[in-house]
Amino acid sequence: MLFATPSRREFLYNAGMGLGTVALSAIVAQQQARAGVLSPKPPHHAAKARHCIFLLMEGGPSHIDTFDPKPKLTSLHMTKFQKERNKFEANMNTGERYYVRSPFEFRRAGKLGIEINALLNQFTRVVDDVCFFRGLQAESVNHPTAMYHLNCGNQFGGDPAVGAWVSYGLGTENENLPAFVVLPDVAYPQGGAANWGNGFLPAHYQGTPLRPEGAPILDMTPPTGVSNQRQAANLELLKLMERMHSDRHPEHAELAARIESYELAFRMQAEMPRVIDIGKETEATKAMYGIGGPDKDADALGRRCLLARRLVEAGVRFVQVIAMGWDSHDYIEKAHGSRLRAIDKPISALLMDLKRTGLLEETLVVWAGEFGRSPDNGIRRGGEVWGRDHNAHAMPVWLAGAGVKCGTIIGATDEVGGCAVEAVHPLKDFHVTLLHLLGLDDNRLRYFHAGREKQLSQVGGQLIRELLA
Amino acid sequence: MWGTLRLPLWLAALALLAQDTSAVLEELKRDCSGCHGQGQVLSKLDMRTREGLLAGGARGPAILPGRGAGSLLVKALEGNGVPQMPPGTKPRPDLVARVRAWIDSGAPWSESNKWGNYNPEDLWAFQPRKRALKGGVDEFIQRKLARRGLQAAPRAGRRTLIRRAAIDLTGLPPTAEEVDAFLNDRSPGAWANLIDRLLASPRYGERWGRHWLDVVRYADTNGYSNDFERPNAWRYRDYVIRSFNQDKPYNRFIKEQVAGDELYPKDPDALIATGFLRSGPWEHTGMSVEAVTRQMFLDDVTHATAATFLGLTLGCAKCHDHKFDPIPTRDYYRMQAVFSTTEFARPKLGFLPTENTAGLDQARMRMQTVAEATREKLQKFDEIAKHNAMRKHGVSRPEDLPKDVLAKAIREKEGITPDEYEELKLYQKHGQLYRESLDRFEAKAFAVSSGPLDGATDGGPNLRYPKRAEYKPPEVHILTGGNMQSPGERVEPGLLSAVARYSNLPEPEVPATVAGRRSALANWIVDPKNPLTARVMVNRTWQYHFGSGLARDANNFGKMGAKPSHPELLDWLADRFIESGWSVKALHRLIMLSETYQRSSGHPSHHLVMEKDPDNKLLAFYPPRRVEAEVLRDSILAVAGELSLEAGGPGVFPEMNEDVARQPRHAMGSLQPAYRPSTEKRQRNRRTIYTFQQRSLVDPMLAVFNSPNLDMSCERREASTVPSQAFSLFNSQFAHDMALALADRVTRSGAASPVRSLFRRVYAREPSHDELRVAQQHLARMTQQHQAAPAAPRPKPEPVVHTITSELTGQAFRFVQENEPGNYEHNLHPSEADPSTRALADLALVLINSSEFVYVY
Repeated sequence: MLFATPSRREFLYNAGMGLGTVALSAIVAQQQARAGVLSPKPPHHAAKARHCIFLLMEGGPSHIDTFDPKPKLTSLHMTKFQKERNKFEANMNTGERYYVRSPFEFRRAGKLGIEINALLNQFTRVVDDVCFFRGLQAESVNHPTAMYHLNCGNQFGGDPAVGAWVSYGLGTENENLPAFVVLPDVAYPQGGAANWGNGFLPAHYQGTPLRPEGAPILDMTPPTGVSNQRQAANLELLKLMERMHSDRHPEHAELAARIESYELAFRMQAEMPRVIDIGKETEATKAMYGIGGPDKDADALGRRCLLARRLVEAGVRFVQVIAMGWDSHDYIEKAHGSRLRAIDKPISALLMDLKRTGLLEETLVVWAGEFGRSPDNGIRRGGEVWGRDHNAHAMPVWLAGAGVKCGTIIGATDEVGGCAVEAVHPLKDFHVTLLHLLGLDDNRLRYFHAGREKQLSQVGGQLIRELLA
Repeated sequence: MWGTLRLPLWLAALALLAQDTSAVLEELKRDCSGCHGQGQVLSKLDMRTREGLLAGGARGPAILPGRGAGSLLVKALEGNGVPQMPPGTKPRPDLVARVRAWIDSGAPWSESNKWGNYNPEDLWAFQPRKRALKGGVDEFIQRKLARRGLQAAPRAGRRTLIRRAAIDLTGLPPTAEEVDAFLNDRSPGAWANLIDRLLASPRYGERWGRHWLDVVRYADTNGYSNDFERPNAWRYRDYVIRSFNQDKPYNRFIKEQVAGDELYPKDPDALIATGFLRSGPWEHTGMSVEAVTRQMFLDDVTHATAATFLGLTLGCAKCHDHKFDPIPTRDYYRMQAVFSTTEFARPKLGFLPTENTAGLDQARMRMQTVAEATREKLQKFDEIAKHNAMRKHGVSRPEDLPKDVLAKAIREKEGITPDEYEELKLYQKHGQLYRESLDRFEAKAFAVSSGPLDGATDGGPNLRYPKRAEYKPPEVHILTGGNMQSPGERVEPGLLSAVARYSNLPEPEVPATVAGRRSALANWIVDPKNPLTARVMVNRTWQYHFGSGLARDANNFGKMGAKPSHPELLDWLADRFIESGWSVKALHRLIMLSETYQRSSGHPSHHLVMEKDPDNKLLAFYPPRRVEAEVLRDSILAVAGELSLEAGGPGVFPEMNEDVARQPRHAMGSLQPAYRPSTEKRQRNRRTIYTFQQRSLVDPMLAVFNSPNLDMSCERREASTVPSQAFSLFNSQFAHDMALALADRVTRSGAASPVRSLFRRVYAREPSHDELRVAQQHLARMTQQHQAAPAAPRPKPEPVVHTITSELTGQAFRFVQENEPGNYEHNLHPSEADPSTRALADLALVLINSSEFVYVY
C-alpha cells in the first residue's frame, strides 16, 4: 500500500476544509453523479449471472479442429476445386481451393460423449458444465472488423464493447476497481484498445487493461526513483492548494469530483496490487491453472485466468481474457495444437475453480473467437499447406455457468463444417443472449447518441432460447 | 441524465412504433399493392399513399386514423363483414393486430419519398432563418434571463478574462508578461485589442484547426489491420490550420473540401482540401470484400459531409426512412450517389511555399536508413532459399541450378523453416509500412478525383481500377435495409429534399455525369439560403467558446437534437456571419466582445441560478470547463519552457508512456515496428496538433483526457473526471520530466524567489501570502529529502523485445529491435539536477496538477 487513503470525510477534515466552505450541494451532486455512473444497478429481470468472464480467442479458432469434428473431410482431403470470384467474397476465399482434413484426434467426454479435440485433457472434466453452440455466424472475414463486431456489436469500430454495455447496465460491486477489466496478451489484438472501448458511453465504462508486463495499470505508480514518502508529501500539498482554489471558486461543483478522482486513484493504487497478487493462492491451485508449468503460454494464460477469478471475486463486473494466435492459415497441426495445449489447463481450471468457490452459480463464462475457419484452403507460396482460411458462416463458441443449458450441443454445421445449418443465429442474437443471461434486456439497455437510441445488437436481435437453462 | 433516462418513455415507445410502421407498410405493400396501386387500382383503392388509404375506394375509406378496429382495412384482413383480403388467404391475427395498432396510433406514414406529419417545431433547422431586425448577443441573452427573473453575473476580472480568451483562441495560457501588459492597459480598446492580437497569432489556426479536425475525424493512418500511414494527409491538416489563420471565408472553405478538385482545379489548396472526403478509417486487404470496402467509404463520406456541414445525422436513413427527421432512405442514397463517382487519388502536387518542408530531407534519410536495413535483412532469406535449393538439387554453386528453378526457389522461399518464415513476414511487413511511409516525403496530395485519375489512383494494391476512358458512373440503388445484397430501386444523384420542402431554397439539379456532382452539392451547401450551413458553423463556434452550443448537439440539428436555447440569437448570428462574408474571425469578435462572454464564472446569487436554470443554459454566468487534452499537454510544455512552436510538416512523434510505446502491436499477419519518439526535442515537443495521429496508437495521456476517437466525427469533447487522469498527470514520466525542466529553468534564471518565479510561470500571477508560505515549507522539506536521497543515474536504454505467438507454429516468436543509432536528445534527468531544483520540481508537479491550471474560468 503506497500511502494511507483516507475517506473523503477525513480528507476534507485533514485538509482543513470544513463542509461549509465547499458547497454541500456540490458534494451531494457529485455523489449522485457517481452513484448514477458506477454503483450497482438493478438488472432488468431476475438473472443468475452477475458477472461475466469472456475468453476471447483472437485470430479465428477453427471449429473443425476443436469442438465440431468433420470426418467427411478425411475422404475429401486435398481434393481440389475452383471457387468463383464473387462480388461479395474476399479475394482470399476465391480461386483454386482444396479440402483439408483435421490433423487432430478427437475424444468423447461428458455424459453425452461430446467430441472434443483429444489434446484437451483437463477439459474433459468440465464438458458437462459447458454448452457448445454450433449455430453462430459472424459477418466479416477480416480480423479487425470481425473483432469489432464480436466485441462491440458493430463491424466498423468505435461502438461500446459488450463489457462497457454491461457495466453501464449493472454498475460495479467494487467502486475501488474498474467495472470492466481486460486481461490482454502482451501484444494487443488487431483493432487495439477499441475492442474494449466505451464508444459513445461515458468514459467510466471503458475497459481497463491490466497489462501482463510493466505496470498493470498505466502510470499507476510514479517513475522509478520517486519514493512513497515524496509522492505522499506532494499529494498533501496538492490537497492544500486545491482547498485554497475551491475557496476562490465555491460555485464550481466539478472541483469536488476532481479531488475525489485523485483519492479514488490512490485507493485503486492500494487495492489493485492486493487483487492481482496471486502469490497467496495455493501451489495446487496455481498448478491446476498451468502456472509454473513447462508451457510458457499456458503459464501466461493461467495467470490471466486465475486473475479473472480473483477479479470477479473482488466484485468486477466483466472480465475479458484475450488469448492470441489462432490464425492458422498454414500449419494447423502445429499452430492450433500449441494453442489447444496452452488453453487446456487454464480454461478448465477456471471453470473448476469457479465451481469450487461457488462463483460459477453467478458467473457467465463465454469462449469465442471472431470467426471460424474454412474446411478448405487456398494456394500458399505456390503449393498446398495444411491450414485453413477464415470462415464467417460457422464458428466455435461455448458458454458455461449461470443460466446456461450445460452439457449439451446446440445447433449444427453442414457435413464439412462450411456453414451453420441448425439453430443458426447472427452475432447480434448472441449479444442479446449474453445481456439476457446477465439480467439485461438489449431493447432497454439503450443510450442516446448521434440522433438515435443505440443498443448493443444495433437493431432487431433475438434471444437464443435454446442456450438458456 | 444517463441513457434511457434521457429519453422520455413515450418517445421510446414512439421509436418502437416507428420501427413497426415500416414493417407494417412493408407487408401491406408486398401483399396488397399488386391489385391496389401498382399497375391496377381494383375497387378504386390505391394503397400506395396514406392519402389513397384515407380516400379509400368503392367501399369507403380504408383507414380511419385512431380507430383501428373500425377501419375497413382491418375488417378486410380479418374477413369480417367484407371479403377476406388478400383473396384466398387465411386471416393472420398477428398482422391484423399490428395493422390495428398502427391505425390506432394515427397511421403514421414513413414510406420512402412520402412525407409524414412532422411537428413544425422539430423542423426548425430546415426552416428559413428568422430575421431579427435588431439585437445583439447581449440583448437576446438578457431577454431570456429577465424572463426567468435572473440577473447576469458581473464582469470577470481581467486576469480571468485574458486566460479565458488566450485559451479559447490559441489553446495556450498567457504568459505573466502578457497578463501584466493587459492589466496595465487602461485604454478603452484594451479588450478588443487583446482579441485582435490573439486572432492574428499563428497559434490561433492551430487551436481552431484542431476543433475542425475533431469534426472531420482526421488521422495520419488508415486504421484497421495494418493501420498504414496516409503519407500526405498532413498537408490537409496544415491546410486547415492555414485556412483558419487566413480567415478564409467559410463558404470557400466548404467548397474546397467538398469539390475543390472540380471547382478550383488550378488552386493547390483546393486539391489538398478534398482530403476531407477520405479522412475516415478505411482499409482494403486480401481478406476484404471490394464491394464492402467501397460501400464503407460511401457511407462514411455521406455521413461525414452531412454531419460536418449540415449538422444532420443520416446514419438512420441508411436502412430505413429516418424515424424522426424528414430524411427518407431515398434521399440518403441520392446524396450517396453524389459521391459514387468519387475515387481516391494521390496526384503529384508540388510543395507550397507556406508548407513546412524543412525537416523533410533529414527525416527521409532517417526512414530510408531503416527501410534499407530492413531490405538487407530480407535478402538473408533469399540466400537461405538459394542454399536450400542447391542442397535439394545436389549442386554446390547457384550457377549450376537452372535459372527458372533458382528464381522459383527465391520467389517461394524454398525450404525455409516456420521460424524463418515468421521473421521474414515481419521484415516484409515493416518494409511494406516503410514503403508507404516514405511516400510522405513525396510532393503528392491525399485527395480525390471524379472518376479514376490514371496513374494516380490510390486504392491500394488489392483494388482494380478501370481506365478513365472506360469509366462509367456506377448505378446507385437503394439498399433495402442497408443490405448490399438487396439492391432496390435505382436512384439518381440528388440532395436532401427536406431542405427544398421546408426552406426557400429550391433543389438544384445534380448532374448525372462523372464530374460536377460534388460541385452541385458544394454550391447547394453554401447557398446563403441553405437553412442549415451557417447555423451549424455559428453553433460550433459558440460551443467552443462556451463549452456548449446554443443548440446542444452540434452534429444533430434534427428532431432528436436539443432545440436551440436561443433560436433568435442563433439566426441573428448566422445572418451576421453570412453578411461578414462568412468570416469566422468576425464571428469570434462578435461573440467575445459581448458582455455575455465576459461574465464571471461565479454568481452572487448562485443558488437561485442553480434552482431556476440548473444547466446554465441561459448563461447567467460563464461556464467553467476543463481544458482539452491537447491544451493540457501544450500548456505543460509551454510553462516548462519546452514547447517548440515550429509549425507544419509531417507528423512528429512525442514521447509517450514507455509501456505503451514498447507494446507490440499487430499488423495483419505480423507486428508493427516499435514506436520511436522523434530524437530532437524541437520536434517531439511541438504542439499536439502536429503529432502523428495514429488510429491504433493514441497517446494514452491524451486519451485519458478525452481526446477524440479518431474514427468518428467528434462534435464535442467529453470532459469526464476519472482516476486514470490523476495517474497520468501525477505519475507519468512526461509530467515528472516537464516539472523538472520547469524547475531547472527557474533555477537557472537566478530568480530571487524560486517559488514566486514558479507561480508566475505556471499561473501567470504572484502567489498569495498563504500559498507562498506552504510552498516554501514544502520546498524546504523536499530539499531535505532530496539531499538525503541522491538521484540514481539515468538507466541505459534497453532494446525493444517483442514476443508474439507465431501463427505458423503456435510457438512464441521473439523479435528484438535495436535502438536506432544516432543521438537521442534526452529530457533533463534528476541525476543532472541539484537537490533544490529537484525539490522545486516537486512543487512544479503539484502546480501542473492543480485545478487552477487545468480549468478555464
